[in-house]
Amino acid sequence: MASYEPKIVGFLCNWCTYAGADLAGTSRMQYPPNMRPIRVMCSSAVDSVYILRALLEGADGVFIGGCHPGDCHYVSGNYKARRRMVLFNSVMKSLGLDTDRVWLRWISAAEGRKFADTITEMTGHLSKKGPSAFKEKWEV
Amino acid sequence: MKGTLKVEAKSPEATIRGLFARWLKEGKLSAILSPAYSAAGTATLALFSNPQKLDEAAPLLPAMGVNAASIVAEFARDASPNAKVGLFLRPCELRAVVELIKLKQVAPDSLVLIGADCAGTYKAAGFRNVRGKDADFDNKHVREQSGYAENVNFRVACQMCEYPKPLVFDLNVGFIGMDADTELWVEAATDKGKGLVEGLELSAQDEPDKRKKALEGLSAARKATTAKRIEELDKAMMGPEKLVEYFSDCLNCHNCMKVCPVCYCRECFFDSDTFQRDIGEHVRVSLRKGATRMPSETLLFHLTRMNHMMASCVQCGICEDSCPVTIGLATLFKKVSQNAQKEFEYVSGRSLDEPLPLATFRESEFTKVGEE
Repeated sequence: MASYEPKIVGFLCNWCTYAGADLAGTSRMQYPPNMRPIRVMCSSAVDSVYILRALLEGADGVFIGGCHPGDCHYVSGNYKARRRMVLFNSVMKSLGLDTDRVWLRWISAAEGRKFADTITEMTGHLSKKGPSAFKEKWEV
Repeated sequence: MKGTLKVEAKSPEATIRGLFARWLKEGKLSAILSPAYSAAGTATLALFSNPQKLDEAAPLLPAMGVNAASIVAEFARDASPNAKVGLFLRPCELRAVVELIKLKQVAPDSLVLIGADCAGTYKAAGFRNVRGKDADFDNKHVREQSGYAENVNFRVACQMCEYPKPLVFDLNVGFIGMDADTELWVEAATDKGKGLVEGLELSAQDEPDKRKKALEGLSAARKATTAKRIEELDKAMMGPEKLVEYFSDCLNCHNCMKVCPVCYCRECFFDSDTFQRDIGEHVRVSLRKGATRMPSETLLFHLTRMNHMMASCVQCGICEDSCPVTIGLATLFKKVSQNAQKEFEYVSGRSLDEPLPLATFRESEFTKVGEE
């Protein structure tokens, strides 16, 4: 599919990754425009329902950005997000669904570079992988 | 405190009824939740308080229409100083009660968990015809099932159940591996349980080897059945195409959620206004792929539900029994929940002390997640 551009829905934690994305922007770092950012208060606020709704409605990937372990603004939100991610991946694997379309990454407010690089890497990965099986599937 | 209890008149069920009567008369319990036969011969549950009424109690009734933990969550959200209710339940029901206690949906203080071995059950719907007019059906079932006897008429979840004996209980009454015409195995695990067996004539001894072997054999046979069923399931369900097909009959009735003992939310997110899209929104969503299946978001419901309750799923399979279009949920949830719980070295309902997987964390675990 020549015209395929991966569509990524991003959930960025207000305290770290969103500020990191902001830094990447204000520093004029270049990265692909494939991700639509949504600001959330904490990576642990991203319930599986939001990830799944994005995927089933046609997103090729979902990105979740949170503070580094130990740095959570709410002390332990990211540790809980991490456990949920483990559960999420386990469920996806049990059902034979892709586990590499949902990325959880720790990116701090100071890591504009890491943010730009991660989004570049993810976009590249999804470009190579191809569109999600649910993209055209209306029967979900 | 443990030992064998003499069975009267070759009826383990009547013997257990005798225990009920004794506990109610002595005031050790103010009521007992137990399986029971309705006048029409259907399988149900009842909260017995008057010893005179106990003739209708059928503690070993081998049919399941609801997971009784759902009922416990209805009436035992809070403890009461005036009530001490015995729950005479099956292992999967007690495991669900344990999960609900940890989820703070059931207050344990007014409850005594009395378990019984369970070798498998029939669906409550239609059970009246299976039993016919046989008044001794329950005892015969116990006799047949005291060793492992495969029964393809059992509920699918029961055919895969590896926990014929309750994992957490105050008191357990066992028949597996026993000569149930003459004796039952009674085991008190806590002070509450010991309070109930006090004054009973138990011939004290260790758990008979024959019983231990029978329980192990039963578990092993059930694990083998599980493996076989999951292998078949994988052929029909794995991957996006087949998964969509697997759920394609779903009516979006949400019965599987309503009957689930560990789906504890008072109002399900999926019944909330979030999912009330107006006509314009529906059209907008439809434009994205050119068409939307109606009813919409059925697969989203199932996938999200799996994420929300797989850590606590007790694999009772009551979801499958409630499904009007017979989607094979029992085997599917068995697989998904076992895999999910393994990640956290957790077994639902195994212990009151183990924290719920999603309510705890360790700093040093899963360090690769979020890094690579």
